[in-house]
Amino acid sequence: MDESTEDLEPLFDYSRVQPVGLINLEDEGDEQVLPEVVKGKRKPDLTPKVTPQGEKVVKEQKKVTHVIDDDDEWLRPPPPTKVFNHTQGLNGDKTLLELRSKKQELASLLQSAEDVIRAAEEAAKKELNSSKDAVLESEADKAAKPRVERKKVVISIQDKDGLKQFRVYKDDKLEKLFNMYAEKVKVNLAKLVFCFDGDKISPSATPAGLGLEDEDMIEVHIK
Amino acid sequence: MSGIARGRLAEERKSWRKNHPHGFVAKPETATDGTVNLMVWQCTIPGKAGGYPTSGGTDWEGGYFPLTLHFSEDYPSKPPKCKFPQGFFHPNVYPSGTVCLSILNEDSGWRPAITVKQILVGIQDLLDSPNPADPAQTDGYQLFIQEPAEYKRRVKQQAKQYPPLV
Repeated sequence: MDESTEDLEPLFDYSRVQPVGLINLEDEGDEQVLPEVVKGKRKPDLTPKVTPQGEKVVKEQKKVTHVIDDDDEWLRPPPPTKVFNHTQGLNGDKTLLELRSKKQELASLLQSAEDVIRAAEEAAKKELNSSKDAVLESEADKAAKPRVERKKVVISIQDKDGLKQFRVYKDDKLEKLFNMYAEKVKVNLAKLVFCFDGDKISPSATPAGLGLEDEDMIEVHIK
Repeated sequence: MSGIARGRLAEERKSWRKNHPHGFVAKPETATDGTVNLMVWQCTIPGKAGGYPTSGGTDWEGGYFPLTLHFSEDYPSKPPKCKFPQGFFHPNVYPSGTVCLSILNEDSGWRPAITVKQILVGIQDLLDSPNPADPAQTDGYQLFIQEPAEYKRRVKQQAKQYPPLV
């Protein structure tokens, strides 16, 4: 029985017929649907002025569409081309859309690639800076740690023959350095005058007291 | 406030502290409260010793001449103004003490790469080698041209006025 009913179904298959009258149905549907929407709007809006406008707009839209349809009907000889164009346009649109989307994808890819490169560069810079900082810090640490123990400083002594460098404690009296120098050049210490920035250095002064930094130069004059 | 001028001057000072020609002094002005003004430097130029050790020194030898360098915010695009004490005896020094030298002339020999060291050595050279083509004072110029003996005496006298500071 079931099978028979199934067999019978095709007899009622108006759906296959319906497509023929689709245009009519759609038109009717449109007409039916639109008034409903308008009606629906009317009831809640309560303001009569707006609704007429809305109706007008809708009507105008309809008219416009009708006019276009009429035109299409009017220009039936060309329409095929028009339709062709339309379909081509649609196809073109599709391909265009695809191309655009691909373009966007490529652009986004490019951007992401650029972002990656930038990020890498920034990271490299940061690393460099941080390494520099690290170096500085390590130097500072090195400088700081001996300070706790006893910080040393390299001082150059300049005579007419050139520069001689000595490493001394920052808090040590320079007397010690002067003695060392006098012994080295074999000149009586009493005959030597040591100067920094044009000022005579007292033997009791210290590098720290004079604000001497690494490789600062003091001059020695022979009386 | 030009960061360029101060940055450069800080570098100049740093390199000067590490090495400079013997007997020269160049240090930024320090106020009594200890603040340093990098734009004005107090310098000393020793009179050139001719030979070694004392054979045939110049008439300027033994003198340690004070010189002040005034840097502008346009340094090193523009040179510093270099001044000896007012009334300094030299054909190329204006009565105000300002040194007239081509390398210190913005429109002539100055280049931003010229260092403080080069300026001071250049002025030291000028002391014993005046440029009669560019006189800046009548006294020094006329004696140099007309009375070499008197000129020599005046130079030696002036060197004694500026004995070594130490």
